[in-house]
Amino acid sequence: MENVIQAIVSGILVGALYALIAYGLGLIMGIMKFLNVAHGSFLILGGYVSYWIFTLWGIDPYLSVPLVIIATFLTGLILYKLTLSPLLKLPDIEMRVANSLLVTFGVIYVLDNAMALTWTPNSRSIMTSYTGEAIDIFGAHLSITGLCGLGIAILVAVALYFILSKTYFGKHVRAATQDAEAASLCGVNVQRTYLISCGIAVALAGVAGVIVVSSYSVTPTSGLSWLLIGIVVMVLAGEGNINAILPAGIILGLIESASIFVVGAPYRQAVALVIFIIVLMFRPQGLFTGREQKSI
Amino acid sequence: MLEISNIDVCYGDLQALWDVSLTVGGGEIVTLVGSNGAGKSTIMKAISGLLKPKTGSISFEGICVNKLPAHRIAELGISMVPEGRRLFPQMSVLENLEVGASAREAKKARHNTISWIYELFPILRARARQRAVTLSGGEQQMLAIGRALMSQPRLLLIDEMSLGLAPLLVQEISQVIKDINKSRKLTIFLVEQDVNMALSMADRGYIIEHGRIQSEGAARELLCNERIKEAYLGISPGGKAG
Repeated sequence: MENVIQAIVSGILVGALYALIAYGLGLIMGIMKFLNVAHGSFLILGGYVSYWIFTLWGIDPYLSVPLVIIATFLTGLILYKLTLSPLLKLPDIEMRVANSLLVTFGVIYVLDNAMALTWTPNSRSIMTSYTGEAIDIFGAHLSITGLCGLGIAILVAVALYFILSKTYFGKHVRAATQDAEAASLCGVNVQRTYLISCGIAVALAGVAGVIVVSSYSVTPTSGLSWLLIGIVVMVLAGEGNINAILPAGIILGLIESASIFVVGAPYRQAVALVIFIIVLMFRPQGLFTGREQKSI
Repeated sequence: MLEISNIDVCYGDLQALWDVSLTVGGGEIVTLVGSNGAGKSTIMKAISGLLKPKTGSISFEGICVNKLPAHRIAELGISMVPEGRRLFPQMSVLENLEVGASAREAKKARHNTISWIYELFPILRARARQRAVTLSGGEQQMLAIGRALMSQPRLLLIDEMSLGLAPLLVQEISQVIKDINKSRKLTIFLVEQDVNMALSMADRGYIIEHGRIQSEGAARELLCNERIKEAYLGISPGGKAG
């Protein structure tokens, strides 16, 4: 019984991190119809920035989150201006998705090599006084870093819900997502809305990177495996269904946790990929989105 | 107020408008009528900044708007009700109205403007929390007009207001438009396929055929024009409806 509780708790904690990884990916895909495959590399960049801040100034990784957000937000603006905005001229969405995949694939090479030059290809992680520490509740061990991840994921979910539904910027984002031309006729600066959204999306990858570097470790090329998880969560939630990302991430985390019992730990990512293929085959619109419903 | 001088507009290599010129004076209702594919909506898109003219100029209150993006033109005071309404389907009626007030000044006055829109179209108040996609065609058209009015425009462009609506509903909405024009001195430029309805409510009109302005004049005179009667109203020279 204790093992089952532990598996559920671990699934929820790791699922929250998965959701955090998928938020930025889902935001860019939902709003602009760009598949940013460099998202994992931006996550690693966020991890390295936090690692650097910790190493140089001894600032706790979770206290460094605001600085990481600023750094990765600015990186997101550069990404949009240099690589993504020219793709908005493409006539249809399929071309936008395909070309953004190619362009951001190039960004991976540039970014990964730049990170290797800056921080060497060695594995880096942050060891704090609470690394490896856990709280025991009902016989289950809850790691401090995992709990921080869960807290941040919930905070991000609430903040995104508030921004998208209650603020003028959020309404502009949703309007531009549903009909960019009609939004511009209403006076919405669609280009600026996209630019800021891209900054926010990359900043969210950076925040996820802080949790990854303090719970696991990062290398310049480890972004791809995190990207894969982000894509699976995004597909489970449904394209652009931002509100469903946290539950989708937790579902994936729980499935992975359960699969450790059934098929063993080495195959848990394979299970995630099988789930991904099954969902694509039978519910391509995602688990939380109706056939006709489009979110954001 | 609006002056279009000799514009040519193309979709890629395909030219849609040739040397089009027209003017809309302050406080007027001006209509542009013509058959399907004549270039009416292309003119609307050029005025609102969705299409850029290849040659010629479009000026609004003395400011050349040719090269401005659509959101800047909206900020200057030109608002458009696009063909097919183009609402934000997954957003509520209230949210659609709020997005209409995206310009700085309009945003400040949005609560008063929403109250005014609800007075014009009371059904929108009852539907305020409903998603736009769930509204009927007539309610959607009311919302599209309401959204365009939210920016407190000085020039309102309306593209194919009557499309897909029952005649009674068209009459009702036309009356609201005429009332706004009178009470608020709001200038209106209306593009329509329903020539009779459009010329009946307008002060002046333009007839467009194959991307060129063919005739212009006072709306009443155009309604009596034998050629227009025959070509657009289906009335033969003898006076019989075809």
